[in-house]
Amino acid sequence: MKILIIEDEPEILESIFTYLKTNEIHCETANSFENAYEKIMLYNYDCILLDLMLPDGDGFSILKELKKLNKSDGVIIISAKETLETKIEGFTLGADDYLTKPFHLSELLVRIQALVRRKQFNGSNIVKFNEIEIDTSSKIVKVNGLKIDFTKTEIDLLLFLIGNKDKILSKGAIAEHLSGDMADMLDNHDFIYAHIKNLKKKLKEMGASDYLKSVYGTGYKWEVE
Amino acid sequence: MEQATNGKLNKKLLQKILNFYFIYALLTLIVVGPIFYIVSNKLYEEEADEDLHVLKKQFYAFTKDELTIEEIDQWNKYNRDVKIEKFTGNKKDSLFNHSYYDALNKDNEPFRVINSPLKIEDKWFTFSARINMVEKENLIGSTVILFISLLLLLFLGFFIITKIISSKLWLPFYKALEKLEQFEIDKTTSVKLIENTTEEFDRLNKVIIKLINKNSSIYKSQKEFIENAAHELQTPIAIFKGKIENILQRKDLNEEQFKIIDDLNNTTSRLVKLNKNLLVLSKIESNSYTEKQQVDVYHIIQNQISFFKEQANSKDIDININCNEKVIVNANSFLVETLINNLFINTINHNINGGQINVTITSKAILFSNTGVLLPLKTEKMFERFSKSNPSSKGNGLGLSIIKKIVDANNWSIKYSFDDSLHSFEVTF
Repeated sequence: MKILIIEDEPEILESIFTYLKTNEIHCETANSFENAYEKIMLYNYDCILLDLMLPDGDGFSILKELKKLNKSDGVIIISAKETLETKIEGFTLGADDYLTKPFHLSELLVRIQALVRRKQFNGSNIVKFNEIEIDTSSKIVKVNGLKIDFTKTEIDLLLFLIGNKDKILSKGAIAEHLSGDMADMLDNHDFIYAHIKNLKKKLKEMGASDYLKSVYGTGYKWEVE
Repeated sequence: MEQATNGKLNKKLLQKILNFYFIYALLTLIVVGPIFYIVSNKLYEEEADEDLHVLKKQFYAFTKDELTIEEIDQWNKYNRDVKIEKFTGNKKDSLFNHSYYDALNKDNEPFRVINSPLKIEDKWFTFSARINMVEKENLIGSTVILFISLLLLLFLGFFIITKIISSKLWLPFYKALEKLEQFEIDKTTSVKLIENTTEEFDRLNKVIIKLINKNSSIYKSQKEFIENAAHELQTPIAIFKGKIENILQRKDLNEEQFKIIDDLNNTTSRLVKLNKNLLVLSKIESNSYTEKQQVDVYHIIQNQISFFKEQANSKDIDININCNEKVIVNANSFLVETLINNLFINTINHNINGGQINVTITSKAILFSNTGVLLPLKTEKMFERFSKSNPSSKGNGLGLSIIKKIVDANNWSIKYSFDDSLHSFEVTF
């Protein structure tokens, strides 16, 4: 998977780069409009991460250029601007997703995966991990070919964990992924325990291996054996 | 209400000025009254004396030489006020007041009398002429009547003039006062005062406008500062957060190091929330959410109920929602959602394990009650920023001030009560 990160803040660029590179993702970077324009002209990307405020132009112009070039690269806007107007403008110009800074890198990763899945030409909505198979469009989970009854939240959680396989996820990151904007109002993240417990239980009942490990009591990790 | 207070103030000022005028007029008349009486009395006497002298001169010029001693009795018989009497021995003219009994009025009447030596046929007589004077009581009476009517006229004049002054001259002042009473720094954008030619009021208006403009601009820059600060903080926080998440992934972390990084991670999340809430708060204050539409309150709850139930379940809390009527408000949907979500999440965050939440929707209000601490919350600072009922709680103390701002921005009202160990917040639309 090849992605382009357009971001002028070097520290943020580096963090995203570091987090993503370990997950079978090839990252390229651009820190200015000019730099980015050159790259989108020459190459195709599975996904472009686009900051809106660039030193020599704004991110919306990149979206316009992509349209002119007839490119169908998926675009996720990553911006500190959180107004509804900016979001609407982004989507109107062809962005596929919008993530407000600051965000969890784990969240960014699953957003990229989801976008790439949607964009794939073969229309495959299947996420496979060993014996586990998730159809993201019909929301069906199968273990060893047998269907399990999962709630929407549990499927969401499973996708989040598998998407961030081999990475340590904090309770907060999981809670924020599951509750979206509402997470800002929570003063504790205890509600995820119940979901994690149920998920583990259901997977175990169907004979799946115990991939989900607790890390030092406060984090979780989907371990690839 | 305001009109009434205005009227009262108006009257007070009028009364004060009037009182001073009244007292001055009264004192003046009390002092001038007797002087006036004395002076007019004196003038009257002088006038009478002159007349008496004229009478005397006429007698001396035309009558004296033709009159004989035999005719004196006759003269006295036909003249009442000019008589020739036995010589008193006084060889000079004398003028004096004297009372005579008036048989017609059956009363003593005051007279001014002149006695003058008169020589008829080498014999001395006294010429005596008199003029009836006004009675003293009558003069005092008419003076008093005159002065009282003068006083009344003055009072009436003062009253009318003051009335006109207050309604015309003081109008700009009262208007300015009214404007100041209505002024709210977070709502009023500009204040217009009546232009006028009175120097003092013109100065007052200028000072008021200057004061308001200065305060408004300070308030505005403070507001912008909060918004800008929150915005500017986003990038460093994002950097911090990204780095921490990457450190967390390192395989060589031991448990102690991991816990420290995880704590930092959680603290960053709190910082992010605080920053977001500050942004929301300053945006509400700067009227960023103006687009209004019909919002169904119950619908908002329905949309998020699974989330709330999920949160409540982890604390074994029972949620009870009563909705008999639809509440549709005309407001910004983001703000209504933020309001309802904040109120709802408060009932969970401040609840006890195994507690209870009741949400009641009526046609004009929504009531959230929940179990919690067994004491009522302190209400006086409840809606202020960063005021927390429990300082050790993880909340950032902005939830209720966001709620209050939204309520105020829509001219709704919010009321807290503690009854039967239930904490209740009621928003009336």
